[in-house]
Amino acid sequence: MRKISNNRDPLEINGRAKGYSREELALNLPRHSKYSPALMQHIKKLPEVVLRNSGTSLAKKINRMMREVFTEAYRAKQYARTEINSRGVLFGVVQLKHRVIDLVLNYFHERWPQCVICLYNEHTHKTLLIDEKGIIREINSPLKKVVETVSKNRPLIPYFDDIQFSGEEIFETLYKSQFITERENQPYFKKMIPDQCFKLPGMRNGVEKRFRNRDLNEFL
Amino acid sequence: MPSTLEKIRVLGANSKYDICASTASSRTDKYPKLFGDSKNWIGATASAGICHSYTPDGRCMSLFKTLYTNKCIYNCKYCFTNNCKHRMSFTPEEYARTFMKLYSMNVVEGVFISSGVCGSADETTEEMLEVVRLLRFKYNFGGYVHFKCLPGVSKYLLKEAITLSDRISINSEASTKDHLAEIAEQKDYYNDIITRQRWLKQIRIRHNDETLKILKDLKQDNQLRYQENMIKGRREDGYKKFRWDGAPILNSGQTTQFVVGAAESESDYDLLKRIDWGYKEIDLRRAYFSSFIPIEGTPLAGKQAASLAREHRLYQSDWLLRIYHYKLKDLKDVLTEEGNLPEGDPKVHLAREYFKDRSPVNPNQAPYKELLRVPGIGPISAKRIINLRAKKFLFKRRQDLKSVGVVLKRADPFLLINGQKQSTLSDFTNLNNSTILQSEI
Repeated sequence: MRKISNNRDPLEINGRAKGYSREELALNLPRHSKYSPALMQHIKKLPEVVLRNSGTSLAKKINRMMREVFTEAYRAKQYARTEINSRGVLFGVVQLKHRVIDLVLNYFHERWPQCVICLYNEHTHKTLLIDEKGIIREINSPLKKVVETVSKNRPLIPYFDDIQFSGEEIFETLYKSQFITERENQPYFKKMIPDQCFKLPGMRNGVEKRFRNRDLNEFL
Repeated sequence: MPSTLEKIRVLGANSKYDICASTASSRTDKYPKLFGDSKNWIGATASAGICHSYTPDGRCMSLFKTLYTNKCIYNCKYCFTNNCKHRMSFTPEEYARTFMKLYSMNVVEGVFISSGVCGSADETTEEMLEVVRLLRFKYNFGGYVHFKCLPGVSKYLLKEAITLSDRISINSEASTKDHLAEIAEQKDYYNDIITRQRWLKQIRIRHNDETLKILKDLKQDNQLRYQENMIKGRREDGYKKFRWDGAPILNSGQTTQFVVGAAESESDYDLLKRIDWGYKEIDLRRAYFSSFIPIEGTPLAGKQAASLAREHRLYQSDWLLRIYHYKLKDLKDVLTEEGNLPEGDPKVHLAREYFKDRSPVNPNQAPYKELLRVPGIGPISAKRIINLRAKKFLFKRRQDLKSVGVVLKRADPFLLINGQKQSTLSDFTNLNNSTILQSEI
């Protein structure tokens, strides 16, 4: 075998091996609540190999921050519970510490392109909405008021009008019906829905919390 | 007349043994959209799916999964239909409305529609199709639909189902004709199941060829030209290599499901042989295994439930066939006399067998296929190793391998790093026996 040298950064050519590229960091690190421009300035000075090496404390910090950002966005997509009114306004409550609400809004916009999506962020106490054109706006009003205002000027859409009934009980019934007692595996369940997810607005006192997942404190 | 809630309670419980992935859709922006780019379509799919909920057994519950009806002409020995007291059916409108409500709540990602066979397979399929038509064309739902094909359904209905769904599955239930006869004697293995699976492949390929012709006519757009080349390329490279052939219809392909442990003499080898055939012959995307659980009131109520470990081993072996491209005859080497998989990870057993007469793998020299033989090295980490070697990187430390995602705990005994290999217990036993004898003498 020919002699091969070890003087190149191995991780720069396999991007997902460890850590994030400089572009990914520039795009997503500012989303973190504890981000400071000084951190980005510091990152710019460092070679990529240092950033990607999880042995350094700085890389550990950056990886943790990036993970927190992506996890929060993903959890919001998973566990945000929404409602739709007959005028095609989809609304719900989220709790986002980091600046990822645009990712969540775009996710809903892709699914409901002809609807206006309003999400109230409990953390910042602001309502953000995305319209049919994909333009995001921030409004300092309670969700209910925003939904009423937006709905006023919109026509009634028949197939949204058709699904104006309570779905909570339907989901609870469906959820209970899918459980196979013989396969019960609480540790696995806890792994898939960690405790912190039950603190999210859509999950608080949700079906998953109520069904077979009570802890002793609830009985005392 | 039962309420919608009652129907969901009963029909949902009846469908809980049907297995499906969360969405498994390969529909992304890169590929042609199922119904075009109109903004009127509601719903989307994420490539790996998004799980909106998990049941207390840890299984993802992301699809609206209920039977359309639990009335059934078949009398399968393992099935709930033997003791079902409450027979009921949804109406197409009711099913579609309920699903859309749940989708608007962001608690489900798509729909999985299955059913008992009420009257005839065609009659029931026609009603199930009506549900999908309502979803697609009344509610403009463009998201994920998994359609369960009933045994013995007509070809014209399959054609329509294919154009409306992301994935279609036909339950094989058992691996051979005899095993199926043992648990579901009314079903005709070849006619009801195999023929339908072959039809699915034929219809899909024919449709894709027609799509290619249309794409050729629309060459002016660069993106379309790219798609055309992509479909062609994937065809030429063979299905074994690229499971997804760029089809604008049935993006997630066809799947099947087996009941593990219901038929008395069915071995793991029978099941693996059957899925291997499926991957080669009918473009099967993947197979699901459901451990047999006895249901009271059925002829198999007294039979012992199949172990979940067996199901897990089958999934591991299926992964080896499907993702790692192992040959079935390789797996045959590690099976027990009864043709079942031994306890423990099949890949570790295979590696022990494979490296019995071979030297450990040197990550700086071994080809891709050899790297894949090592437990703890998967396709992604093997590709990373190859990539790094191409860039003249030398793996000198265990840490180098760890940084590309190799699980060292499992890989160590089979690796030669910097001229050194981890000693195993057997090395010591062989060596020590001779040393002790010498010293005693």
